[in-house]
Parts: sequence; structure tokens; C-alpha cells
Amino acid sequence: MRTINQQILSSGAAQPLIEFKGVYKTYDNGTKALSDVNLRIDKGEFVFIVGPSGSGKSTFIKLIIHEEKLDAGEILVNGFKMSSLRKKEVPLLRRTMGIVFQDFRLIPTMNVFENVAFPMHVVGASKREIRKRVSYALNLVGLGRKARNLPRELSGGEQQRVGLARALVNKPSMIIADEPTGNVDPNMAYEIVDLLAEINRRGTTVLMVTHAHQLVRDFDKRVVMIETGHIVADNAGGVF
Amino acid sequence: MKARSVRYLIGEGLKNIWLNRMMSIASIGVLMASMLLMGIAIAFSENVDRVMSSIESQNVVMVFLEDELTDEQVQSVYEQIKSLDNINPDETTYISSNQALEGVLHEMGPEYEEYFNQYFEEGNTIMPETVRASMIDLEKYDQTVAAIENVEGVDSYNSSRDLAVILTTVRDAINTAGVWIIVLLSLIALVIISNTVRITMFNRKLEISIMKAVGATNGFIRFPFMIEGITLGVIASFLTVGVEYLLYKLAIKALDPIIKILGYNPVPFSNFMWIILLIFLALGIISGLIASIITISKYLRREGSEFSAL
Repeated sequence: MRTINQQILSSGAAQPLIEFKGVYKTYDNGTKALSDVNLRIDKGEFVFIVGPSGSGKSTFIKLIIHEEKLDAGEILVNGFKMSSLRKKEVPLLRRTMGIVFQDFRLIPTMNVFENVAFPMHVVGASKREIRKRVSYALNLVGLGRKARNLPRELSGGEQQRVGLARALVNKPSMIIADEPTGNVDPNMAYEIVDLLAEINRRGTTVLMVTHAHQLVRDFDKRVVMIETGHIVADNAGGVF
Repeated sequence: MKARSVRYLIGEGLKNIWLNRMMSIASIGVLMASMLLMGIAIAFSENVDRVMSSIESQNVVMVFLEDELTDEQVQSVYEQIKSLDNINPDETTYISSNQALEGVLHEMGPEYEEYFNQYFEEGNTIMPETVRASMIDLEKYDQTVAAIENVEGVDSYNSSRDLAVILTTVRDAINTAGVWIIVLLSLIALVIISNTVRITMFNRKLEISIMKAVGATNGFIRFPFMIEGITLGVIASFLTVGVEYLLYKLAIKALDPIIKILGYNPVPFSNFMWIILLIFLALGIISGLIASIITISKYLRREGSEFSAL
């Protein structure tokens, strides 16, 4: 069976949203985090990134958001060439993506509305735009009535949904979710992934790092498995 | 950066000051100490300059005669001084010890006159016989004073010029010491403000990581901290001017008897208020800006991990 990468490459598809070509990354302490990684993710895809701890999943994500620099090869993200990305271009790269964190990362002194609005202040959005987009995002994640609540007044699942809304609010071309279900109960985990799937259906590319293998099997999506810095599997349909 | 972003960030900077109010108060306190010393030095300088410009135009030397001279001897010394070169005989006068005492008591005010009368018997003068010698040409000051000293019966003299030299020396000493103290306090202020900003950054580590993750530039992240530093400097400036005004008023009140004796009119605070305010604002803003820029830049270079757990 051909992997997803092979199918796409042979079909002559349009430029990918994310492309890794012969990527190597070694940390200063000698740890080889990624070796000869080749991968292509197209616009509109939903991709699970799975693998054991220390496999290189986090490094993979850090290279995409340019928190780490690659040692060899090339990475293209949303038209940005990572090997030659200048410091002042990094914020521009990150504005094309929305990040969902495992530990939610909500600001405790801001209410739900303010937390979701926060990225819009960074890009200088007007009050009108902020009101419109934040309301849309909160309604999408089912928290329209909790706009004035503080994070401590929400459950883990609700806090993660706020995190999702915040990731969406600047209309990014992709959502990168790092273990978004890591700190929520199993039922809520399915709701979170359902929401991500809905966001994906509306056109946003989703990249989700996870340890929740059962979840991966239950959702019929592409799965990329990383082990010891190599991609060992890249299959459709929740198979790995 | 868009105008609305600037407005938002100014709000965030001001909010930080309130959220870390104890450290903010400490920063303001240290800045004020530094500024106050500077202000006191300036106030002192202004008054010394005024004294000097008035006394440099005075051509009078008060010559004090020896005690126990007879009336004839006093008259003889008086005539000798009047006849010296460069002394204007028409404006040179003799002041008896009683007249001198009356004059001093009059300057000091009735409460001192009453005090004096309680403790000293009438006729006990305590003031010397004095000749008020007026010079014609101030260029010949030194030779004239030397000639006066050589007159037999002259005990000492008191010239405003000598006072000017003393005042200049004191002023220069205070200014020199003041500069070193101010430099030291400014460095301390930089450290304190830097710590305030560092604490704010630590408290806002989460926000900074999110800011970087959503694509905030370093300038966007740095701006509120700069606002914080500048605002602390501005607040310290205005508070210091207020405190200095009160202290100046108190000092003038406390030194009132001496001021009256000297017949001196202190420089009004409003004469140098704007100068010191401008200097304080410059010092406050620069200290605040430097401290916050150094601190946040170091932090942004070293830390601010967007994706790893905080």
C-alpha cells in the first residue's frame, strides 16, 4: 500500500502547506532528534502525529513553528522557507498558525472573552473585529455564554475549548495542537477532537500531536508515526 | 505598530504598575531619593549664586576694633582707616558697640530682644566697636584690606568677599559629593527598576509565551515594559518636585532668623522649579527606559519558549 506522501507526490498536487525535505535536527547535547524526515501535508488535511516519548514529535512541531532551527534539509511552511527565515519574519509565520497547548495556557487574570481576544490585539484588530470574531469562535466551541467567566471557573474541557477558540480567532491556515486532550477526561477528549474535526471540515488544516492511540483509531484521519527521529508510518484511515 | 495596538500596550504597561505595586513603590522611592539630592544641590546652588552676585557688588568691609580701647584710641583708628588709600571717607562710618547690638536685635526680632534682655545686663554690649569702611575701587580690594589690617587697634574684619569664597567652597564640595551620591543612587535605581521589570516579566511569562506563539514581534512584547519603566520615572519626578517644595519651605522657615540677620532674600522655589522638573523627568525617563529595555531584551534573547511547558 502506498503511503499518503507517495500518493500525493505522484498525483502532481498543488504546493503543500507543510513540507519536510531530508530534515535533520541534532541538539547541542548530541541527541539526534530527527533524521532524514520527509513529509508533505496539504491544505485542508487532518493529520495525527503519534509516537512514544522522546521520538521527536515535539521537535517536529518546534521546527514548524520555528522555535528550533533545522540542521540540514529544508522545511516549507505556508510559503515560508525555514532555512532562510529572518528573525523579523518569524512573527509573520506564526500568525498563519493557531496553537493549542496541552496545558491550556489561559491567562488567569483575563476572562474567557479577553483570553480569546488576546491574539487579535497582537495583530492590531479593531474593537469591532474583535467582538465579531471572538463571538464567532466562542459560539463555535460552545462557550458563547461563558464569555465573562474566568479560567478558574471552567472545567478542564472548557478551558481547552477556550484554547481552541483562541487558536482560531485570527483565521489561521493551520491549527497545531500539542496533546490537546492530555489534561481532559476521556469523554471531553472526544469532544475536543470532534471540534478539531469540525474546524478542519471548514477548511483549516489540523496537525494534532497525541498519545491517545484509541482516539486516533476512532477518527478516520491520516496518521504519521515518528520513532527515534524517523517517520516509520504514514497511513490514512486511523491506521498505524 | 498600529495606533490601537499602541493604546492597548500603554494600558497593559500601566496595569503592570498596579499589579506589581509594591515593587513599583520601591522603584519610585529610590528614584526620588536620587532626584531629591540633586534637587537640594540645585536649590543650594541657586541661592549661593544669588548671594554671590549681590555680595560681589558690595564694597563694604566691616572692621572690628580691639576690645579695651579708649574712646580716643577708637577715634584715632577710625580716622586712620578713613584716610587710607581707596577708602571713601564720606561713606565710611563708625558704629559703636551699642548701636551694633541694637541693629542685630532689631534684625532678629522682638522675641530675641526680650530673650537678650533677660540674660544680659544693660550696658553689657558683647558687640565690638566697628568701622564700616567703604572702598572706592574693588580692583584694589586685597591691598586695601591688607592696609586696614596693619592699622593698630584693628582686631579683625569681615568682608562679604570672604564669605563668598567660603560659600563657593562649600557649594563646590556639596556639588561634588552630590554628584557621586547621585551617580550611586542612579545605579541603584536602575537595578531596582530592572528588578521590578524582571518580576513583572516573570509574572507575565505565560502571556509572553502566548504572545510569541501567536506572532507578536519583540517590539510588541517590549513596549508595555518600556511604558512601565517610563511611567515610574515620571511619577517619581513629579512627587520629588512636590516633596522638595515642602522641604524648601520648611528650610526657609527654620533659617528665618539667620536670613533676617543677613538681610538675604531666598530664591523663590518657582524660579528653579521648572528646571528641576525637566532634569528629574529626563533622569526618570532615561533610567526607566534603560532598565526596562535591558531587562526585557535579555529575557527575550534567553527565554520565552513558546511551545515547551513553562
